[in-house]
Amino acid sequence: MKHRGTSVSEGIAIGKVYKYIPFDPEINEKFISSSEVDENLKLYKETQEAAEAELLDIMDKMAETDPENAKIFQAHIDIIYDAAMEEEIIHGIKSSLHSPEYAMKVVYTQYIELLSKTDNELIRERVTDMKDVYSRLIRNWFGEEDRNLSLLTEPVIVLAYDIFPSDTAVMKRENVLAIITEIGGYTSHSAIIARNYKIPAILGIPDAMETFKDEEFVIVDAIKGDVYVKPTEDQIEQYNSERKAFIVKQQEVEQFISVEPITSDGVRIDVNINIGSSEDEEFVIEEFTDGVGLFRTEFLYMSRPRLPTEEEQFEAYKKVVEVYGDRPVIIRTLDIGGDKQLDYLELPKEDNPFLGLRALRLSFDMMPTFKTQLRACLRASAFGELWIMFPMVGSLGDIRFAKKIVEEVKADLTLEGIDFDPNIKIGIMIEIPSIALMADVAASEVDFASIGTNDLCQYLTAVDRLNPTVAEYYQSFHPAMFRLIGNVIRAFQAQGKMVSVCGEMGGDPLAATMLIGLGMRKLSMNASSVPAIKRLITQINIHKAERMARTVLELSSADQVENFLKSELPDV
Amino acid sequence: MYSREVEVKNKTGLHARPASDFVGLAGTFDSNITIRDVNGDDDPINAKSIILLLTMGFGKGTVVEIAAEGEDEKQAVDKLVALVESKFGED
Repeated sequence: MKHRGTSVSEGIAIGKVYKYIPFDPEINEKFISSSEVDENLKLYKETQEAAEAELLDIMDKMAETDPENAKIFQAHIDIIYDAAMEEEIIHGIKSSLHSPEYAMKVVYTQYIELLSKTDNELIRERVTDMKDVYSRLIRNWFGEEDRNLSLLTEPVIVLAYDIFPSDTAVMKRENVLAIITEIGGYTSHSAIIARNYKIPAILGIPDAMETFKDEEFVIVDAIKGDVYVKPTEDQIEQYNSERKAFIVKQQEVEQFISVEPITSDGVRIDVNINIGSSEDEEFVIEEFTDGVGLFRTEFLYMSRPRLPTEEEQFEAYKKVVEVYGDRPVIIRTLDIGGDKQLDYLELPKEDNPFLGLRALRLSFDMMPTFKTQLRACLRASAFGELWIMFPMVGSLGDIRFAKKIVEEVKADLTLEGIDFDPNIKIGIMIEIPSIALMADVAASEVDFASIGTNDLCQYLTAVDRLNPTVAEYYQSFHPAMFRLIGNVIRAFQAQGKMVSVCGEMGGDPLAATMLIGLGMRKLSMNASSVPAIKRLITQINIHKAERMARTVLELSSADQVENFLKSELPDV
Repeated sequence: MYSREVEVKNKTGLHARPASDFVGLAGTFDSNITIRDVNGDDDPINAKSIILLLTMGFGKGTVVEIAAEGEDEKQAVDKLVALVESKFGED
């Protein structure tokens, strides 16, 4: 039986589940008598001190190994003694005769709610710290031992509803084979920690806490995002060898991060990365890349409870273009709809969201929001090499209308005397078959294009890529994909226009070989794929890739294509 | 009751380390101390609370009123104003 979540840190693990359940008792309304006030105030103070003592102990242990992160716990101590919260808790005990644990619950709940509502992302992140501190106080109030992840005595797969910073900080890395959680996604705290420590992690498995049993033996395939319970002998054997192969390959491949991506016959291929924010985490391998092939701006919109302001967007875009200097940064305008929603927009529910009011169509529908984003892009273009790209373009009309809006925004900025790059490059995503088939016409209207292979495959094969019951029909190696992509590349190159690919295929060595064979010279991928793709580039030659591409265009099924590529490239 | 107004001039505003320094200093006085944005509609908040201070998010350019009531009110306000004016050692 297999359960699916989101793989946020690649790898494979096989082992026993350790169900991590933080102490979380139900706190009910409870009162004390006025004669018990002094005693309870004292007990509250002792609880604070006990919690502080634990934190000081953690900080001591971390001072040597991880002084930077030890600071988080000083912040936790500050929260324990926060003047306003402390005052309100004491007031609750003294005046409302709340029992201390109930007083703490009332006040912490109220402050956590208050912080969750602010529109400053950094402050909202503090909510996790507040929850963490609250759990610590309550546990100490009940005199429960700290059952944290530093106490793991053998290598296990940690299963949790969610993981707090204090959990990961004290976690014994060598005893954590993998992490699986019920909530969280690519940018959540646990995901970042897992990637930093190179721990395989799958987050967001629905009902994970109920599905998996403590001590149960499971296989975690954090490449695909699957957890197998009750695996068969065959599966265990298969995954054991896959795990070994993965580790060897990872070590081998990582050496390729800094090589120049030049084929064995001397052709330079541009290797770009896809990013989702302007956080420093995104820039770790920046120096080894030729630019940002795709800046997914929707995360700027998804990470706050309201639309980001022009200034917030401008700062984010400016930061990225400044880091990249004269290397291009392609900013894709808002791509909301389909599987990505913004709760605060309260968009009507659609029967077929992937075919609905999505991406550029939605931007056209929300003109002020669209113009705000374009203004931010244009302003940031004065600070580096910023290109603008529109998602979900289906027709020439879409392109012309989007360009007209850009011209209007440019005119506004000129009137206001605000600097921008007047020759800013404008491009489109190729992900709807109708525009892919009109690539020659589209190419004459834009400066560049990037092929979004995930959506192109979804629309070309008529398969909802999120519907698991039709997953087998989603064939990214369908020969039709390569025929269509080949046409797009030819059409753009015939007019001397830049074309790249930024979907999953750009980061898949087999597919990337095909794309290069079809003439693609610029690939964009997630950071984790860069070493493997650079390695591939240094090992192939254009002549061979072109020959393979010609063969593939003659094949008749996805299976044939995949088998052929695997037989030609046994090492990748 | 003693109060003074001061403009937040450091780049980060009353966030992160500056906020923590501010609360740290405020905590050394016995007086009740509050802070508010003179141009905003919000009520004054307890200046000894890091949580409330962060929630208010007083950024660069905000003019705040620091008020205190108690034995050491004058000293408290003057010292806190001086800290804000020192730009918390930034720039």
